[in-house]
Amino acid sequence: MTAILVSLVIGIPWIGALILWRTSDEAPRLQHTLAVAFSIAAGLSSLALLPYATSNTVIDIPMGSVFGNLTFTPDGLAVTLTIIACVIGSLAVIFSVDYMKGEAQLSRYYAFVLLFIGAMAGLVLSGSILFMFFFWEITALCSYALISFYNDDPKAVAGGIKALIITQVGGVGLLAGALITYATLGSYQISDLINNTESMPANLLGLIAFGFLLAAAAKSAQFPFHTWLPDAMEAPTPISALIHAATMVNAGVYLLARFYPAFVHVPGWALSVTIVGLISALITAFMALTATDLKRALAYSTVSQLGYMVYAIGVGGFFASQFHLLSHAVFKALLFLAAGAVIHAAGTRDMRRMGALGRQMPFVRNVFILGALALMGLPILNGFWSKELILEMGLTHGPLWAYVGMLLVAGMTAFYTLRMTWLVFFGKAREALHVHETGIAMKISLGLLAIGTFTTWLLAGPFSHMLQQTLVFHSVTELTTLELVEEILFTPATYGALAVVTLGLGIFWLGRKQAAVGKEARFDILSRESFGFEWLNRQVTSLTLQAGSALQKTQTGKLNWNVMGILGALLAVLAFLLWSA
Amino acid sequence: MIESVCYLLLGMGAAFCAYRAMISNHLLPSTLYLACVSALASITLYMLGAQEVAVIELSVGAGLVTVLLVYAISVVGEDNLDPSSIIPKPLAFVLVSTIAILAASMVYPLLTSVNGAEQVPLAQVLWKERALDVWVQVALIFSGVMGVLGLLSEKEQKNRSHEEVIPSVELEKEVHV
Amino acid sequence: MTLDPLNAVLIGVILLLAVGFYGLLITRNLIKIVLVLQILVKAVVIALVLAGKASGQPGLGQSIAATVIVADTIVAVVALALAVQVRIRFGTLDLSKISSLRG
Repeated sequence: MTAILVSLVIGIPWIGALILWRTSDEAPRLQHTLAVAFSIAAGLSSLALLPYATSNTVIDIPMGSVFGNLTFTPDGLAVTLTIIACVIGSLAVIFSVDYMKGEAQLSRYYAFVLLFIGAMAGLVLSGSILFMFFFWEITALCSYALISFYNDDPKAVAGGIKALIITQVGGVGLLAGALITYATLGSYQISDLINNTESMPANLLGLIAFGFLLAAAAKSAQFPFHTWLPDAMEAPTPISALIHAATMVNAGVYLLARFYPAFVHVPGWALSVTIVGLISALITAFMALTATDLKRALAYSTVSQLGYMVYAIGVGGFFASQFHLLSHAVFKALLFLAAGAVIHAAGTRDMRRMGALGRQMPFVRNVFILGALALMGLPILNGFWSKELILEMGLTHGPLWAYVGMLLVAGMTAFYTLRMTWLVFFGKAREALHVHETGIAMKISLGLLAIGTFTTWLLAGPFSHMLQQTLVFHSVTELTTLELVEEILFTPATYGALAVVTLGLGIFWLGRKQAAVGKEARFDILSRESFGFEWLNRQVTSLTLQAGSALQKTQTGKLNWNVMGILGALLAVLAFLLWSA
Repeated sequence: MIESVCYLLLGMGAAFCAYRAMISNHLLPSTLYLACVSALASITLYMLGAQEVAVIELSVGAGLVTVLLVYAISVVGEDNLDPSSIIPKPLAFVLVSTIAILAASMVYPLLTSVNGAEQVPLAQVLWKERALDVWVQVALIFSGVMGVLGLLSEKEQKNRSHEEVIPSVELEKEVHV
Repeated sequence: MTLDPLNAVLIGVILLLAVGFYGLLITRNLIKIVLVLQILVKAVVIALVLAGKASGQPGLGQSIAATVIVADTIVAVVALALAVQVRIRFGTLDLSKISSLRG
């Protein structure tokens, strides 16, 4: 039964992708219907998988000695992420029915969305590192194709290429880790790696650990790879909500969480993870303070919140990070979709041109405020509990300076979230934008997600129970929701964090008159350049191009020179063999 | 010892013919020298005990390939003198002879005649032990024939229509220079 | 000094290979390249049979040699057909003139 459900969760979206790829763009109604049907079917089968969560490998197909076995292990961690991918995926597809109405080439759009949903489920369910890499790369491909969906827009194409190349860098780390695992243990299975860490040479284990950290940082847009996510905002907004807020960017956090028991004893690894999380959260929160593009501001805050999760793993808060991942997936998808509704109606992404839109779109305003409150970490929404849990873990288990940094980020988050909400929905109307309330499909997905921001934290108890039952290698202490509530409410640190959040809100409130000023300060330019990382990216690009044109000289197209090269290599090999013998 | 001398002479002869084939300025003599190389190689193969391979080599290498080359030359014309080499000849010579000496010195000590090795008939090896790749070969031959047919038929179309798709004026000029 | 028969064959093989490589380095005529490749393949065929004999598995070496001859003949046929096409389209067989890469 479990095996059937696992294959359904991956198979349904992929079959749907195949079918939608072949549908004609002349029949958009059929396309919308098919896409919604397939994504809801996938969402339902992922929910059906929930009671069957097990630590056993349910599918085990031998793929030949070189590739190892294709295995799927639906344990608690995997099932949770599968549900996030499939359910939020189906909500994003429902939202797209209104958002993408009248767009051309819907078959391409929906095919890639469904391919992505299946690949994301496969990525988290896979028990083999090699096939995890395989699904990992499919998600990267879908991300690229959907960022560049409007492929006549040069910015969209550039953003897609940037995302693809940067995540490929991370993919190399994952592949290298998989191959080193295979070379030392003769197996690609995750359980084999975690079981045998003591017997592995320390330097090789360290290579795998830091290779995976590289992969995770690139995928989750963490420092120093955080530059691709803001540029990925050229994608249609449902894509930003699904791939670049709720699911794919979580893959890096998932990777770190999954292999945490294997790498925790690698010297310096946990500290590096903590620092990566801290720096990402800090600098992107800074950038979000002055961002003027609504979606870019949300993207910065995504990186910042992912930084929280990475930080949580670094300080050992495995459960806290996964809990925040769940909360964040819900409220950030809500924020993105609500922002999508605003952008769809207003026709611009520039917050300086919006203002007072709340009167015309009360429903969107209300759900956006809910998402914003959750993002700030105000009680009793889901973001509050998970963020406080992370901060508490950071205070008790992590270094103090990192905790102070994260506390600062919490204050800045409150500041920029309020700023965002204020600029879009309140204040004075700076331009006469004729907006209208959203369609019914948009309302359904927004409403469901808004309910989620109230309720998902209630799942903390069952969630920790499931993780504790099905994860063999992680030591998760089971705690009920009530215990969690008590723990958070009776910790003084909670009130400290709330005080910082209030401070952030207060500072914005005092300076709200200046918020909509259109001028770009020096600080904004610094932010837009990602504190010099955009410059670094450009340097890498131009160096690559220069090296390419330099190496072009060696390609004369003359056979004789090519033969010369081959013979030279042969000579080198022969000389090496003689010398080593 | 006589055997060794025979092999040595055959090898030297083949290498000499190959050298002549390579340096000749005309394609037809080159082809004939290549046929000589093939014949000498097939005698060597025969003496090494690989009678079947020797026959295939003689018929295919010396026969079929020579016929094909002559056919191609008759289509192309004999007027194509080999222009001077791009790579300096001394450099090429040094590189090749270094590789030859290194390779020879590596393999030389490894070779000793094995006596009384079990003789498995070639046919059995081909059709029993390697059945799959023999069939792949059949498919390969088939696809090769199809490819050549395609190329030649394309040529006929070209001749019929007399349309030069790729402007070759510039290239022609270079040839005459 | 005694010379093992197999080593005598080896000398022939190495000489043929050397001539073939040298030819590949200095030849620019496309048909001549095909011809030189044939020389190299003859050397390889002898070497395969030789290796089979030396390793005590003559049948295996010979069968692979036969495979190589067949495959190489296909290569020669296709290459010659291509060469004819190149001559017709470009008016030359000179490899350095056909190349469109301008490194």
